[in-house]
Amino acid sequence: MICWPDLSLPALLSAVLLALAPSFAQAEPATYADRVAPLLDRNCTVCHGAEKHKAGLRLDSYAAILQGAESGAVVKPGDLKGSEIYRRITLPTHDEDFMPSDGKPPLGSAEVVLLEKWIAAGAPETAAFEAPPLPPVVVVPPAAPDYRSRLAQANELARTLGVQLVPRSQVSTDGLIVRTASAPAQCTDAVLAKLAPVADLIVEAELARTQTTDAGLHAVAAWVNLQRLDLTRTAVTSAGMIALAPLSKLEAINLTSTKVDDQGLAVLQANPALKKIWVFASAATPVP
Amino acid sequence: MISDPHDPFAHLCSDHGGEHPSVLNLPYVPLGLKQEWLELETRRHFLGRGSKALAWAGLATLLGRSAPHLLADTGALPGLQPHFAPKAKRAIYLFMAGAPSQFETWDYKPKLSDLFDKDLPESVRGGQVLTGMTASQARLPIAPSFYKFAQQGKAGHWVSELFPYTGKIADELCVIKSLYTEAINHEPAILSMTTGNMFPGKPSLGSWLAYGLGAINEELPTFVVMTSKMPVRTNVQALSNRLWSSGFLSPEYAAVALRSGGDPVLYLQDPKGVSRDVRRAVIDGVNDLNRQLFERVGDPEINTRIAQYEMAFRMQTSVPEVTDFSDEPASTWDLYGPKAKEPGTYAYNCLMARRLAERGVRFTQIFLRTWDNHSNLPTNIRAMAEDSDRPTQGLITDLKRRGMLDDTLVIWGGEFGRTVYSQGTLKPDNYGRDHHPRCFSMWMCGAGTKPGVSHGETDDFSYNIVKDPVHIRDFHATILHQFGIDHNKLTFKSQGLDQRLTGVLPAKVIHDLLA
Ligand code: HEC
Repeated sequence: MICWPDLSLPALLSAVLLALAPSFAQAEPATYADRVAPLLDRNCTVCHGAEKHKAGLRLDSYAAILQGAESGAVVKPGDLKGSEIYRRITLPTHDEDFMPSDGKPPLGSAEVVLLEKWIAAGAPETAAFEAPPLPPVVVVPPAAPDYRSRLAQANELARTLGVQLVPRSQVSTDGLIVRTASAPAQCTDAVLAKLAPVADLIVEAELARTQTTDAGLHAVAAWVNLQRLDLTRTAVTSAGMIALAPLSKLEAINLTSTKVDDQGLAVLQANPALKKIWVFASAATPVP
Repeated sequence: MISDPHDPFAHLCSDHGGEHPSVLNLPYVPLGLKQEWLELETRRHFLGRGSKALAWAGLATLLGRSAPHLLADTGALPGLQPHFAPKAKRAIYLFMAGAPSQFETWDYKPKLSDLFDKDLPESVRGGQVLTGMTASQARLPIAPSFYKFAQQGKAGHWVSELFPYTGKIADELCVIKSLYTEAINHEPAILSMTTGNMFPGKPSLGSWLAYGLGAINEELPTFVVMTSKMPVRTNVQALSNRLWSSGFLSPEYAAVALRSGGDPVLYLQDPKGVSRDVRRAVIDGVNDLNRQLFERVGDPEINTRIAQYEMAFRMQTSVPEVTDFSDEPASTWDLYGPKAKEPGTYAYNCLMARRLAERGVRFTQIFLRTWDNHSNLPTNIRAMAEDSDRPTQGLITDLKRRGMLDDTLVIWGGEFGRTVYSQGTLKPDNYGRDHHPRCFSMWMCGAGTKPGVSHGETDDFSYNIVKDPVHIRDFHATILHQFGIDHNKLTFKSQGLDQRLTGVLPAKVIHDLLA
């Protein structure tokens, strides 16, 4: 294996799961308003809400849920088997009738249990019922500040510098990719320095085959939200790696075909954020 | 000219002064058609204008060309960026045309060895109509795999002895045993796999990706196809450029097919006595004429022409570099095997695919045919495996060590499965297998697919799926998902439909395949 260090994610995860396990089983009081409604809102109301009401069904208010679909009731209080809504969410995921439809991610098992307990308890509108707590929602922090107001600036910068600044996705806090594949030879240390105005927006830098040297990595060090850095076939050396130390979000770095040796590798290994370091055809010894 | 935004026929092109009549000024063109033209024009605004601007800029200074592809002057152009952060930036699709038998490759059926030459139970076949090739057979005798299987790696995939190299990387693979299709003959089945539809005329997967995501490297085509020299000379499967066509999308999204011998791309070299400058001037002149024509008639296909001239000019320098393997380290040849030095072989194409991926080609599809073993299956499939096993493993190992498997999706598979019963005479060491659409096996790896997973199950005869069926459209939806694309939202209006790769029937992302 070339990739180092393999922080065992499964091991970490199972530790987390173990920690959660006891509380998972314990029931706690829940209500329609604080647990059921948000769940339906997250998973169902895009198709069964104010804008679209597929099958004539709305799931965005208590009254609407009990009113059911064109074809009849979907929730029969106290009758799990007779509740169409329950049947739909517990079918095999490939079943045509499975909900949510269209390949949307299925409900988690804890979410299914919540609906089950609610219906079994008579689908109360306000009264509390017993249900296991949901596992804590993992809130993914934004990768970078919102790019929307700065795209024109980024575009102008890219044009003058001869690189591309590409949104990683339409999610405006997903950051920008510095892309150089069309003309890597044009991307010099000076160009990297001139990207300073968008430094905080850059989450990925594809600098393979560019003219980047150790000096240029000082500019890269200012890209505080950088997660992935590809330096394949550049002139960087171990000396340059020190500059990258402050990058606390850097998860993956590719040093294939560079002169970086074990010394540089040791510097990088001190960065707790770094999960993957590729050193194929470099001067460093791959760590198994 | 300031155009009224509420007038549907006001000309949308900011660079069009309105001095010439356009299609929209013609009185006898039906309203609906004008509307459709306008939509087409708007949708193509990006590449239309983008590449035209590119062409003009290119004329001024080729080296200074920066091609801010995905950012319009006015801000982001939604729809040309992934809907959500992608796991895959590129894909290499190893297309095993002719349909490899699942019995000798990825769907291990140990119970069949006791059933040699027994008749396939009618209850299993369930009255299914057979192809003309075996419908007239008096018997449907069961043919167990001639090849043995062993579990490999931590994941314990059952791997055929035909794949000793691939076995070494079995833990990387996400094997799907429950794909199915409607087509029972090669042409419609391959088309379904490549374009999502049995009928010709739809864009292929690579074209959809090119259309939806644009290029990573403007100097190289976004979508490349390579066909491989055939290790076997029987049961040759015809391939045509229908399989990598852009269908109703603009032709610039079709694949560039690299040739397997001689110049990889024809006519790229400057003719004798014509210097690069002269060539540039000629293209400039042609582009200028085309631009004038565009201004007059507004047909977006003209912009395609301009873009293609520009692409060809750029490939004059980029293609020779990528096809020159002299910078490969010695370890490359150990990995891919000696055949990788022979242009046009599958091994050579695998190495080429890595080089293209490295330089930012989004989608590379390698076709290897002659898996269509209606007869002499044991001998022929061995030849196929010997030709492809080592380079396949080499490619994945190479991508992995170079840190590219993280964001390169590799796909291996054919267009349908094969029958459990023998076509023609059955002997323990010789038999054939007919086409079988109800189940077949494929694998994926890299780019956020779940390594070591085995998904779906077939019955003891690998005849029917008993668990987790995956239709081709689900498979396509899953691939697009890895590219950050919601398959429902990557559409193009044609023939009155919002067309999409996954078609009109419901398709779903198979989350079980994803890490
Ligand atoms: C992507 C759109 C979409 C989402 C998201 C979605 N549905 Fe549906 N739903 C549909 C469509 C379309 C139908 C009608 C077709 C059918 O019956 O399968 C439907 C039908 C139903 C029905 C059957 C109504 C009847 O006719 O009896 C139920 C119950 C249902 N959905 C529940 C849910 C629940 C619960 C969720 C969230 C967990 C959900 N749906 C999410 C699209 C959606």
